[in-house]
Amino acid sequence: MDVMTKPARRTAPASRLVRAELRWIFRRPRTLAVLGLLALIPVIMGIALTVADPTAASSGGPPGNDGGNLLPAAAASVLVLPIAALTMTLQMLLPLAAAMSGADALAGETSTGTLRGWLLAPVGRAKLLLVKALGVATFTLAAAAVIAATGILTALVINGDGTLSTLSGTTLSIPDAVGRVALAVGWVTLQLWAVGAIALAISAFTEHPMVVLASVLGGVIVFTVLGSLDALSWLHPFLLTEVWWSLVDVLRDPVPAADLIDGGLKAACYLAIGLSLAYARLVSKDG
Amino acid sequence: MNTKRKAATVAVAGTAAGALGLGLLAMPAGADSAPELPEIGAQQLVGSVLKTEPPAMSGTATVDNELGLPAMPGVPALDAQSARVYYDGDGKGRVAMEQQSSELTYVLGDKEFWSYDSAEGTATRTALPADARDKHRSAKAAGADPTRTAAQVVDRLEESSTVSVDGTARVAGRAAYELVLTPKPDERTLVREVRVAVDAEKRLPLRMSVLTHGTTDPAFEIGFSEIEFGPQPERLFEFSPPEGTKVTESEAGRPDGPRGESGEEPQFRVTGDGWDTVVLTRVPQEMRDRAQGEGADVEGMLDRFGKPVQGEFGSGHVIETRIGTALITEDGRLAAGAVPEQVLRQALENR
Repeated sequence: MDVMTKPARRTAPASRLVRAELRWIFRRPRTLAVLGLLALIPVIMGIALTVADPTAASSGGPPGNDGGNLLPAAAASVLVLPIAALTMTLQMLLPLAAAMSGADALAGETSTGTLRGWLLAPVGRAKLLLVKALGVATFTLAAAAVIAATGILTALVINGDGTLSTLSGTTLSIPDAVGRVALAVGWVTLQLWAVGAIALAISAFTEHPMVVLASVLGGVIVFTVLGSLDALSWLHPFLLTEVWWSLVDVLRDPVPAADLIDGGLKAACYLAIGLSLAYARLVSKDG
Repeated sequence: MNTKRKAATVAVAGTAAGALGLGLLAMPAGADSAPELPEIGAQQLVGSVLKTEPPAMSGTATVDNELGLPAMPGVPALDAQSARVYYDGDGKGRVAMEQQSSELTYVLGDKEFWSYDSAEGTATRTALPADARDKHRSAKAAGADPTRTAAQVVDRLEESSTVSVDGTARVAGRAAYELVLTPKPDERTLVREVRVAVDAEKRLPLRMSVLTHGTTDPAFEIGFSEIEFGPQPERLFEFSPPEGTKVTESEAGRPDGPRGESGEEPQFRVTGDGWDTVVLTRVPQEMRDRAQGEGADVEGMLDRFGKPVQGEFGSGHVIETRIGTALITEDGRLAAGAVPEQVLRQALENR
């Protein structure tokens, strides 16, 4: 008797929900378009730097202010080009992609009415947030990985497997170099998770995806402006955008870990703030 | 109601935890209280510093510069530079000066000295004389009796300053003694005191700060922000330039910096002693011509950063910073020292 009346399953397993969410995300044309455009950036950088006169590039501009120094070296190296592309896109385009993904996850679904199904379904709100957060996390990882991969491929096509030299003048072995690019991808993804978590929080409060995009992008710009004002130096340790330059440290040898760890911890703090706010809003949201 | 309260709790707790974490990360390190250390005399401390061989270590050194030096176009700002330092405890070392997206690396190896600039992609190799390190070592050994040398050093310093051990400090997480040099009251100098923090265990100087009158913040400070003692990997002290690097050979014996093209070495003359020492020299005519030739507006620059002065020595410009003053006359004489302008004037007039 007991065996016969096994109760119908009341909740879907999380893994199935995540798979459904991922399929949903990666079948959207705009997701693929964004990933495709991000993949083009290292290719464009590589070609532009090869075509441009390298001597003119190295003498132009004041040293050490805008990452310009990284660029002349970038085309020459399988190691430097992916990192340079990640550093550049991390300033604006990757946060934009993370914000887009966060905006679609909640606000987008609210605006098309599909979130209602989630809220009424027998799925806990914590599980819902987990699924959405994992969706954003996977998308940002894919974005960073795509940039690194096309960066490596572009440099290989332009130079062959030539030079793997660090900023400190040492030459790395291939596994070591790949490890560093992987480290950079992981670190960038963590930073993007922080941005994505804030985007999710805003996303939970609104039903207009554009509001999420605008506020995250505006936030990044405001943080960058605040970071460039010397008079506000007391505020700088709190700004997430300030730590993004330390990505260059993976090109030094040995890697000075202090700034990278510090940046990772700060991202974790933003992640905690964003996710807890998003959860608080989702829990009290009416179906 | 229940979910509302739950939502509020999670929101407040999560945000507070995140904000607290950020606050903790933002707190400057080294805010700990001064450590308790056994008393030590100045002479004994100096002796132990002279006796110690720097051990193998790695660390990050930072320069903090509040000199009030005018920012010059084309001259990189000195402030808030940081460098990673590696030392194998046996005469080999590596220094990497970090710039935002490039690095200047100096490697002192067994037989050669390398400098590498990643922004320019250039390297300079200097072969060291085979006996350089042995000589260096035997010189250390010949300084045989550190206690006597220490006594001499302290005596020498005490002609012009008061040398004392003033409490303790924590530098880069290590307990340190603060050795303080205070100029005697009759020394005419801008410097109020110089503090050197010496590691209590390893007796390695960890930080030096120069303080001037009227402020408590150091005008100039150089020291370790992180330091770790222990053996370093051997590969750090070898260098082979990466592919595509322009390598220039430099002549031996002068590993530091490019040598001026001019055959004429500037002549230095020193007046005064102790803290009010003034260095007098002459800017080589050749150098001034070259600067003019390269389109540098020397006069304009002096007008901008210095103030014009006149006196028995003629006329010129005086450039003041918080720890030093320089006076350049129209005819190319230069006087500089850690002194007020008046002392420089006298030095120029008395020649």
